[in-house]
Amino acid sequence: MTSWNYEPAADLDQSLVERLRRFPREPDMTIYGLRSFAALVLRGWLRLFHRLEIEGLEHLPKEGSFVMVANHSSHLDALCLLAALPLQKLHRAFPAAAKDYFFVSVPRLAMAAVVVNALPFARRTHIRQSMEICRQLLANPGNILILFPEGTRTGTGQIGEFKPGIGLLVAGTNIPVIPCYLNGAYQAWPKGKRLPRPRPVRLHIGRPRTYANCPADREASEQVSRDLRQAVLDLAA
Amino acid sequence: MSPQAALQSEVFHAYFFIVLGLLVIAGLVLAVLKWGLKKPVDSIWTTYKSWLVMVPILFGCVFAGRIPVIVFFCLLAGFGFKEFARATGLYRDWWMTSVVYLGIIAIGATCLVRQPQGLESGRGWYGLFIVLPVYVVTLILLIPIVRNQAAGQLQQMSLAILGFIYMGWMFGHLAFLANAKNAYGYLLYLLFATEVNDVGAFTFGKLFGKHPFRSNISPQKTWEGAAGALAVSMALPWLLRFSFPYFGATQLILTGLIVGVGGQLGDLAISVIKRDVGIKDMGAGIPGHGGILDRIDSLIYVVPIFFHMTNYFFDMR
Repeated sequence: MTSWNYEPAADLDQSLVERLRRFPREPDMTIYGLRSFAALVLRGWLRLFHRLEIEGLEHLPKEGSFVMVANHSSHLDALCLLAALPLQKLHRAFPAAAKDYFFVSVPRLAMAAVVVNALPFARRTHIRQSMEICRQLLANPGNILILFPEGTRTGTGQIGEFKPGIGLLVAGTNIPVIPCYLNGAYQAWPKGKRLPRPRPVRLHIGRPRTYANCPADREASEQVSRDLRQAVLDLAA
Repeated sequence: MSPQAALQSEVFHAYFFIVLGLLVIAGLVLAVLKWGLKKPVDSIWTTYKSWLVMVPILFGCVFAGRIPVIVFFCLLAGFGFKEFARATGLYRDWWMTSVVYLGIIAIGATCLVRQPQGLESGRGWYGLFIVLPVYVVTLILLIPIVRNQAAGQLQQMSLAILGFIYMGWMFGHLAFLANAKNAYGYLLYLLFATEVNDVGAFTFGKLFGKHPFRSNISPQKTWEGAAGALAVSMALPWLLRFSFPYFGATQLILTGLIVGVGGQLGDLAISVIKRDVGIKDMGAGIPGHGGILDRIDSLIYVVPIFFHMTNYFFDMR
């Protein structure tokens, strides 16, 4: 007689907070339900309060993994990019969020892990480890990685330099990268303000780009990052 | 059951003060051991602190009334099943787990509503509550047929059926007890006596334990611990007779046996699952206790047997 094959959850011995902090997180029906409900509420709120408009939805790949990169000026950014995705892809979309900011206090952790489905990105230490997690994520078909290559929210409203990490991730691969530009998010919720203001936000989604022919070295990665920044700037223009 | 009824219930008052007194005494003893005698009691201290959170939640629900009690125990059944599903890997099968959750919601509904044609006296829809496993098992067996899949389905179906029957329906009897005329007596006695039985087994085992009880299932448990817990559980119905003053000697003896034997079998039943799966605890939700199932394991076994024993002798609703 064949023995049954049990596969207990990898985080069985961890508390709820520890389970939310880890990555990849185990699938959880309760959290998926809460996230779907929160997405519906947030999408309604973005459309009503910020009159969110999305242009270029047709550029989003229907299948396979891809990366969305955008300028970063407010906490609304990840929510706007998520709002552009179909609800059924919500649990496979992972905005990279600063581990040192979003994965420390419990309220922010709940927001990041439950509502946004964020990937904890260690931007100061263990960057290689974070990059490896991103790489593994994209190796599985159907995952969507949302990155803000500036590394932090802009304090001036201007688009800063893109860090080479995005280049290192996609150079020499067939993974499509979708440049996105968020217009109005800085005015709606600038860095330092506690609450958002009712300003209109517009999301422009560009054509997918691939960098299969680029060598996966530092120089080429920096070139890819510059190219993506220019693509975002072009959308802004 | 209602806040007004709880305020007027002597049974509720009695248990409230008994538990409060025990918590104060236990806290003082632990404080003396920890800070006075500098004994290593950190793990027991963590367990005690969890009791300080669980007891007010429990009393708060019982005080709030029938509907909060039913909702609370159904939520507990749901979270208990979730732990079981996560431990066995069933949680990856969303169709199976969804049907079990649906079944647990149906248990809550049968506890809350009356029989529509008025064929049953009292609250709750007992007839449907009792036959609910038929419908849920039927649905579970339907899932592989609908998705035209056979490989591995016997395991999934068996786990889902066990999860629903044991963690959902059998534990759900506790929610149905909220419909009893003597709900305070039954609920508070069962909760109190089952936990005392657990503490008794642990204490007697620690003090006198020498001979392993079921060595392949739970190496820590001993015959001495089991006998001590049974002795305590046999005495409790007589000591707490105010909980059910109409119980005769037969019912009191049966109550003692059900809690004393059933409590330990419930503990071992969950241990069998844990050992087979190869895990220590069912979860980590309650510091010092493990998971919810590690806390309610004895109750799951005890409650339905006590329920049907009492229902046999008396008109419960």
